Amino acid sequence: MKLSDIKKTYGTGGLMVPVLHGIDLEIEEGEFIAIMGPSGSGKSTLMNIIGFLDTPSSGNYELNSEQTGRVKQRELARLRNEHIGFVFQQFFLMPRLNALKNVESPLIYAGVPKRERRERARQMLEKVGLSDRMTHLPNELSGGQKQRVAIARALVNHPSIILADEPTGALDSKTSEQIMKLLVELNEEGRTVIIVTHEEEVASYTNRIITLHDGLITDDRRNLS
Amino acid sequence: MSIWESLKVAMSSIWGHKIRSILTMLGIIIGVGAVIIIVAIGEGAKNQIADDMFSTDENEIQLYYEQIFLEDDTEMMWVEEPEITDEDLAVLREVPGVQSVLGINQGWGMMVHNEEQSDMTITGVDEGYFAAKNIEMLEGRPFLARDNDSMNRVILIDSVTREKFFSDGEDVIGEIVEVSDNPYKVVGVYKSTIPEELLQYDDFASGEMLMPRALVSMMFGNREIESVSVIAESPEIVSETGQLTADALTEQIAPEDGMYISNDFTQYEEELNSYLTIITLFIGSIAGISLLVGGIGVMNIMLVSVTERTREIGLRKALGATRGRILLQFLIESVTLTSLGGLIGIGFAVAATFVASQLLPFEATISPLVVLIGFCFSAFIGIIFGILPANKASKLSPIEALRYE
Repeated sequence: MKLSDIKKTYGTGGLMVPVLHGIDLEIEEGEFIAIMGPSGSGKSTLMNIIGFLDTPSSGNYELNSEQTGRVKQRELARLRNEHIGFVFQQFFLMPRLNALKNVESPLIYAGVPKRERRERARQMLEKVGLSDRMTHLPNELSGGQKQRVAIARALVNHPSIILADEPTGALDSKTSEQIMKLLVELNEEGRTVIIVTHEEEVASYTNRIITLHDGLITDDRRNLS
Repeated sequence: MSIWESLKVAMSSIWGHKIRSILTMLGIIIGVGAVIIIVAIGEGAKNQIADDMFSTDENEIQLYYEQIFLEDDTEMMWVEEPEITDEDLAVLREVPGVQSVLGINQGWGMMVHNEEQSDMTITGVDEGYFAAKNIEMLEGRPFLARDNDSMNRVILIDSVTREKFFSDGEDVIGEIVEVSDNPYKVVGVYKSTIPEELLQYDDFASGEMLMPRALVSMMFGNREIESVSVIAESPEIVSETGQLTADALTEQIAPEDGMYISNDFTQYEEELNSYLTIITLFIGSIAGISLLVGGIGVMNIMLVSVTERTREIGLRKALGATRGRILLQFLIESVTLTSLGGLIGIGFAVAATFVASQLLPFEATISPLVVLIGFCFSAFIGIIFGILPANKASKLSPIEALRYE
């Protein structure tokens, strides 16, 4: 994955607010990365662009040698579905669907047949250690369990990148540790994991920490611990 | 996501808000129900009128003379109708589409026999009458050509008259009966053509009788042919044939002060039906306004639902849902809502129509076509009033939607 001179400006005409001033970033497959920075530094915008939720104003974004600079909404939806697995701070599970159905949902948009969907969702829930909670509704699960359902959902489509936005922000420290360990495990299996966080502790689990400040990368260091 | 998938999502969302869904559907339920009930009652009334007024002798049509008054006539003068002869009838028989032409006249007479007496209708007919009107002879013989030619003093009585004036086993044929002080010989009995429901009225209670046309003319001082009855080859061409024969008769006789017209009942029926249709449509469209109001209610609730589910929409987009899929999902939801309302409305209408049929003097009829139209229309309302909210949902930016609290 390669980002070159990514700029993002919000607003039009007289009220132009530049958020990203030119980001150059190369991420190899299998890396475990934390993107850090104070609020307003542009880390959320960068995450949105990496996750195809937003498009850059200028610059190039290349994923698996696929140019994704200027593409249509429809194409963005496909890229999100195929390449990105999202994990959110607030979990964002669909409240009326049970764990299994929540995990299945990206496969519906990918056009996977029902039987296969069911099977893959089941495997993923087993992988995150929730094989006994498959038919539970989100409000019957604890915070940590909810986040694990969300991780299973992010994994089910075999995405190129797991993109986690403050994955432990709504969890207590003990549960946070479990979730981080799960992410480490997934990374060790060869998946690219990118975490957006402002917590040093969370970042310490990763191998590479990128710090943003006012729309520019100010620090990019290997974390050897 | 298949349509079936979307439908299941829609159903679970409707089921998740039962009271709200029912209230939203109410406008559609009432609208579809009211329209179907009104159309059913209108149809029922139409059928009843058609049965009551227009169902007899559908391929028969009468020709009448109509005097034409000129606008500058200061005095309206009734002019004697021109005479019609057998020769004129022969001309009418040549008109295309005509099966037979009957010349008929009518008289009233007091029949006295076996110490019974009754005022009765006497119809003067010729020998062609029996085949043309499918008269069923029960005893004796119908009239023959010679009865008219030589003015035989013969009569035919119908089954009602026979029952009134004669006992069951009594031999009727050859009996002499007295009608308005003149003796006639009974040569046959035919099955009465008086509709059963009319027998309770005095005028029909004693039945009717037939006499040779020439005889009625002589005995009662009528013109020999008072009215002309045309029987068309089929009911479909009866109006047309009536028109053609009326014109032919006008041309043949060439009266100075008038013309012949046909009493085209089908025309009245069409006219009456079109009035009923207009009334039904009028009341129906007032009921239809409820559908419009219902549709706006659906739109309102769908907009609320889009706002409530902003985060769900954002999430679905993040998971790879395209604009089209979000649009389709919300459209299917609103169509499901209104179609369900339509189905419930149809159910109510069927029940209400059943009850109405018990209370009304006629049976209200629900036609499958109206039900189908009602259902399709309710689904159509779902599409029309669902587009705006669905479009709004599909346009949400996933970032904004996920940030929405």
